[in-house]
Amino acid sequence: MERASRISAALIFIAPLAVLVALWAVVVPAFGVRPQIFPSVAAVGKAGLESLIDGSLLRHVASSVSRVAIGTVLAVLVAVPLGILMGVSRGVSAFLTPLMRFFSVLAGIAWIPIATLWFGYGFGAIVFVIFNAVFFVVAYNTLLGVSTIPMTLRHAAASLGAGRRAMLTDVLLPGALPNIVTGIRTGLGFAWRGLIAAEMIATDVGLGYMLFVARDFYQTEVIVLGMIVIGTLWLLIDRLILVPLERATIERWGLVSA
Amino acid sequence: MKSLSLKNLAKTYFDAYKGEHVTAIRDVSLEVPAGEFVSIVGPSGCGKSTILNMVAGFIPHSGGEILVGGAPVKGPGPDRGVVFQSFALFPWKTVLDNVGFGPKMRGVPKAERDAIAREYLALAGLSHAADRYPNELSGGMQQRVGVVRALANQPDVLLMDEPFASVDAQTRMTLQDELSRIWEERRPTVVFITHDVPEAVFLANRVVVLSKGKVLAEVDVPISRPRVWDRLVADEQFKDLSNQVLALVRSA
Repeated sequence: MERASRISAALIFIAPLAVLVALWAVVVPAFGVRPQIFPSVAAVGKAGLESLIDGSLLRHVASSVSRVAIGTVLAVLVAVPLGILMGVSRGVSAFLTPLMRFFSVLAGIAWIPIATLWFGYGFGAIVFVIFNAVFFVVAYNTLLGVSTIPMTLRHAAASLGAGRRAMLTDVLLPGALPNIVTGIRTGLGFAWRGLIAAEMIATDVGLGYMLFVARDFYQTEVIVLGMIVIGTLWLLIDRLILVPLERATIERWGLVSA
Repeated sequence: MKSLSLKNLAKTYFDAYKGEHVTAIRDVSLEVPAGEFVSIVGPSGCGKSTILNMVAGFIPHSGGEILVGGAPVKGPGPDRGVVFQSFALFPWKTVLDNVGFGPKMRGVPKAERDAIAREYLALAGLSHAADRYPNELSGGMQQRVGVVRALANQPDVLLMDEPFASVDAQTRMTLQDELSRIWEERRPTVVFITHDVPEAVFLANRVVVLSKGKVLAEVDVPISRPRVWDRLVADEQFKDLSNQVLALVRSA
């Protein structure tokens, strides 16, 4: 029963994508679209196969994913403790909230020019962009999460003997976790877009670079291949990381209906 | 179990909205000997929750003394267990871990505090719910956990702030029966805040009527125990005492 429903859910998810590919397969030859404008399904398939065989696709994917992973992990590790500290004190959180909002909106692409000035072209600049995309959003959401924990929960913990440290680890951190997860989701979204943009400008390897270089040679099949890979990787991040995180926190604790 | 005494307790605060100082509690003195169950009743705004919050240490008092077993209260602490109207269970912890939270804070090892938690859960007939999360339980069940969590930490004084006000009437009577039974078994020192007069009389050894921040009257409740609703609904002494307290509250 459960397995059947999972399979049908997967089919419902895949169906519109399949329709899109089918349309593409029909429209391109039917209208005689030139390959410099848009590639055929077969050409993209061939480009995918070739880049898999020569290892170039894997190299681009690996460098993009590792940049996002490193930037995100660093950002979360710094943002969460900082967000909690900011949230504990009413005064500090009131003072910093407008700043955090400001930088949350800036997050991502807007940092690229200054990142290349500071770090030059390459790994450092891109990780910096991703770090900023994730850091401000997660710190802001953590702050928000801590300040929305009901006072009675803090009171309950204190009257059960929780000291400062236990208040942080057993009340404030888990209480803010649903917001932290929301922050990570938003931040990763910014980071993923920021990554592609930064890679077009500031590096010589990665999915963004792959797209950008292909344009110079009118290789639309490589461009479209890259777009498909970028979208698919995001769906995988969503399914394999974000959704399980949300299941384990937000839904399980009944903070939103499952 | 220890005694609780309030000596000339007072609370004034600055109301920023009105722009003036407000006196919430003026000169309340109250003795609760160890092992006694005292209910505090009064109309909304009479200051009963303010007293409880000061005794719990959540808000500072502005005059007088609060002594638990003779020692003055400074801030919240595990010597005073609190049961909240809103239950205040940790939604990210299972029922077992909620109940084991107090022992955990004392540094009791995991296996031992699980055993303590299970013992107390059994006391309230909650053994089957140990591995559930609070949001999977009904309001009545959640508050059973709230009571058990406070008891499992073996406080000197148990403070209950309108704990059954947000559950339905049927469940409320069941919870009152259970609390009465648990009190008779364990004899904790209890201060129970409520605006429900029959509830106050049913549970307590003594009912304190509060009005405008002062003690209006104290009424002893010598009804024999064990007390259960099946017996007390028709009990003349219970009716008389409830009417007496109700008259006092309405005059307040």
